[in-house]
Amino acid sequence: MHSPAPTWDDFVLAIDIFRDAILCGAAAGLVLGWLGVHIVLRRMVFVTAALTQAAGLGVALSFYAGIHLSAEVPPTVGAFGACLVASALVAARAERLLLSRESLLALAWLLSAAGAVLVGSRITQESHDIAGILFGTAVLVTPEDLRAVLGIGGAVLAAAVWWGRGFVFAGFDPNGARVQGLPVRLLELALLLLITLEVSAATRALGALPVFAFSVLPAMSALALTGRLSAAFPLAALFGGLAGAGGYLLAFFYDLPVGAAQVLAAALPLALIAPYRLFRAS
Amino acid sequence: MTTTTTDPPLLRCEALRVGYGGQAILPAIDLTIHAGEFWAVIGRNGSGKSTWFKTALGLMPPVSGRVRWPSGEVPLSYLGQRLSFDDLYPVTALQVVAMARGRGWSFLRPFSGDSAPAREALAAVDAAALAGRTFRSLSEGQKQRVLIARMLAGGAKIAFLDEPTAAMDAVAELEVMMLIDRLRRERGMAVVIVSHHLGVTRRFAERVLFVDDDSDTVITGTTDEVFAHPTFAARYGEHARA
Repeated sequence: MHSPAPTWDDFVLAIDIFRDAILCGAAAGLVLGWLGVHIVLRRMVFVTAALTQAAGLGVALSFYAGIHLSAEVPPTVGAFGACLVASALVAARAERLLLSRESLLALAWLLSAAGAVLVGSRITQESHDIAGILFGTAVLVTPEDLRAVLGIGGAVLAAAVWWGRGFVFAGFDPNGARVQGLPVRLLELALLLLITLEVSAATRALGALPVFAFSVLPAMSALALTGRLSAAFPLAALFGGLAGAGGYLLAFFYDLPVGAAQVLAAALPLALIAPYRLFRAS
Repeated sequence: MTTTTTDPPLLRCEALRVGYGGQAILPAIDLTIHAGEFWAVIGRNGSGKSTWFKTALGLMPPVSGRVRWPSGEVPLSYLGQRLSFDDLYPVTALQVVAMARGRGWSFLRPFSGDSAPAREALAAVDAAALAGRTFRSLSEGQKQRVLIARMLAGGAKIAFLDEPTAAMDAVAELEVMMLIDRLRRERGMAVVIVSHHLGVTRRFAERVLFVDDDSDTVITGTTDEVFAHPTFAARYGEHARA
């Protein structure tokens, strides 16, 4: 026999349980949505895919260290460390290895994914299920995770706004920017560092899959909708924030895994906008 | 605006050899560029024009020799080839011009948000109406106008233009070249332009740098001198006399 579907009254009664998780999802979605405009425009979508996967591995490694090595490594620190290694691989000058950057991305993604599954197979006896780390099935968010997402997210967003025009100039016309004295390479690394920081904090709390989705889908929706850069940033942040919170609501009312529901919520604006754009273009 | 030869030059290439991986692709280049001069860089595809350009601008290291700026730090502007701009960015013409305000950018003191100089520069090139249009939606001629406005907004003393009219029809090309020439005369800005169009070059340029890696040749001089040079004439045949 099926239990009756939850109602708004049920949700309001349980709000104390879900409030931190919803706030965390909204905050991460907002910051990742803003950063996502740079990610999509710089064609570094799969950089974030590799970083989120690496963050998942880092979280799994920190659990592993706590369980099997009696070494307490905060999961966010583990995620940041693994992300930094993946970032270094991605930022390496691939041409010196006679390879493309894309192939290094694939290497980072594959090693991280395989590593997370391998490490995850050694921690499943504990409460930290690897599926939760990778796909975001966790419903609850600890106060520490929420603080990390709000604190790191606030700092990352402030830096992204402060250096935003530099990121845009260096991406739009790198040679012109170099000639005017902009530190183009340092700006690329700074952007990668901001993404790494935010992905590390958010992946620990939400899981790799929704974090990847928030870093790509809201920006795609915003860019498809507006066609104006100045409007795309706040719009992407809004879509990301709504997806982070709305995904929890979807999961609650329809009994869905949270991470997948957040991905669906993030994809919803694009699903509405894309037909309109395609129709207009034709 | 006029300049005199007693003014210190803006740029000097001294025995400059350019190339890749420590291998020079051209003989040593010696030339001096003064304020207000109009230089053309001529050579066939792959002859080393863009390599010299990028080396002079500091985007590539020289193989040997050096680039000097005797007047001190000179505001530069670089207008790259058409494909060097990423059309995925939905930036407006005004935002593109305002990028010129990035000179002196630092992590502690990033761009000024003041758009007034950018609007003035757009007006100076008769492109004020384009301010709110997205750059990618503009015609090639309009894009060049916007990029020239960016040069002005940045107060460039020397402008490097790499085939700025490559994608234009003859009328649009002439309009853009006349605009560049007018701004050069009014503002005393030196212009260095890479172009394949000998007729346009001959009309506007006062001095020419001819590079040819096939014959391992570099020739500099006035436009008439270079066009009359036997190596140049042999390379371009009838076109050199046109």
